[in-house]
Amino acid sequence: MAYSDKVLDHYTNPRNVGSLDKNSTDVGTGLVGAPECGDVMKLQIKVNPETQVIEEAKFKTFGCGSAIASSSLATEWVKGRTVEEALAIKNTDIVKELSLPPVKIHCSVLAEDAIRAAIGDWKKKNGAAKPAETPVEAKAGD
Amino acid sequence: MSATHNHSQTVQIGAPTGEQCWSCGDMRAAAFCTACGRVQPPAPTDFFSFFGLPRKLNVDAGSLERAFYQMSRKLHPDVYANASSKEQEWSLQQSSLLNDAYRTLKDPIARTEYLLKLEGVEFEGQSKAATDRARETGTQKKQVVPPELLEEVFELNMQLEEARMNKKMGEVDEALSGELEETKKNLQAKYDGLMEELESYWNEWDAIEDRAAAGDSDAVPDQERSSVRDKMVDLLNRRSYIRNLVRDVNEVLES
Repeated sequence: MAYSDKVLDHYTNPRNVGSLDKNSTDVGTGLVGAPECGDVMKLQIKVNPETQVIEEAKFKTFGCGSAIASSSLATEWVKGRTVEEALAIKNTDIVKELSLPPVKIHCSVLAEDAIRAAIGDWKKKNGAAKPAETPVEAKAGD
Repeated sequence: MSATHNHSQTVQIGAPTGEQCWSCGDMRAAAFCTACGRVQPPAPTDFFSFFGLPRKLNVDAGSLERAFYQMSRKLHPDVYANASSKEQEWSLQQSSLLNDAYRTLKDPIARTEYLLKLEGVEFEGQSKAATDRARETGTQKKQVVPPELLEEVFELNMQLEEARMNKKMGEVDEALSGELEETKKNLQAKYDGLMEELESYWNEWDAIEDRAAAGDSDAVPDQERSSVRDKMVDLLNRRSYIRNLVRDVNEVLES
């Protein structure tokens, strides 16, 4: 099967490969897998505690070209977004951007899972301190 | 539930389908008529019924193989060299169906996956479906395999990558190679364990089918069926990771 140019680009020149300190409170780690092919993907984000902006994202994926490209793209996309904005990324956005064929849709699902899992981990670590869940206070000033 | 139930079903070729032979009007089997022996047009059928088998998971490999060869001879296009063109075509179609059915049913994993698909399991879409649910409900997606397994798979892949890199550079890391040999043994043991576990689910499944076949269908709540089904799906998911690891470790060790 022929990969699209964008997949090839991410595959041969993956962005943000590596890891962050998983014990840091500012870092969220997502480790996910696709049972269809046995791929595993680790995606980590570093969140600015003041602004909730994802400042750093790293990944390491063991899998096919589409899985690597999907996670590489995911790290590019989450960087500079707030946590809530990053949660809006859908697997279909990745499918579109990379022109993934139907048999590779699960790779994009894996990348979305990884983002959500990383954010979930970060939220768990920072549970109570999350201002987004206290809109009452924010409204009180109006 | 009788966990000791492991009676492999033997294959009897030519179980009647309840339809009529196009030639003699008598009872026909999936592939040929039991009365006149003429080849039949392929009817929509699943691989189990093709061999006259109920949808059970313990299958006697020997009798399946014998049935396959027997039917191969009967359906072989050469036999129909002088028959009508429609019979020639049917024998070709039936032979190819026979090959597909045999290849699927003789392999324990392919057989289990095939039965689960017949039961409505969608392997390809399961991860996506779980993601969609998580997104809609704003909840954390439950991974289809346990996190510990993912952790193990990830770590092992890191090791394999290092070993590949070493080999490329012409370096030999004795300690790492030793570790991988050990890992290979562990993985094989784990794989064997999974296969044993799978067989115990086959027995549970077949026991349910037996009870249903005995006419006591009320005695088999859907709940019970779906519980065994889910256990098999879960196991097959874990298996794909272990299978890949076994393959990759072997590849690195042999390179």
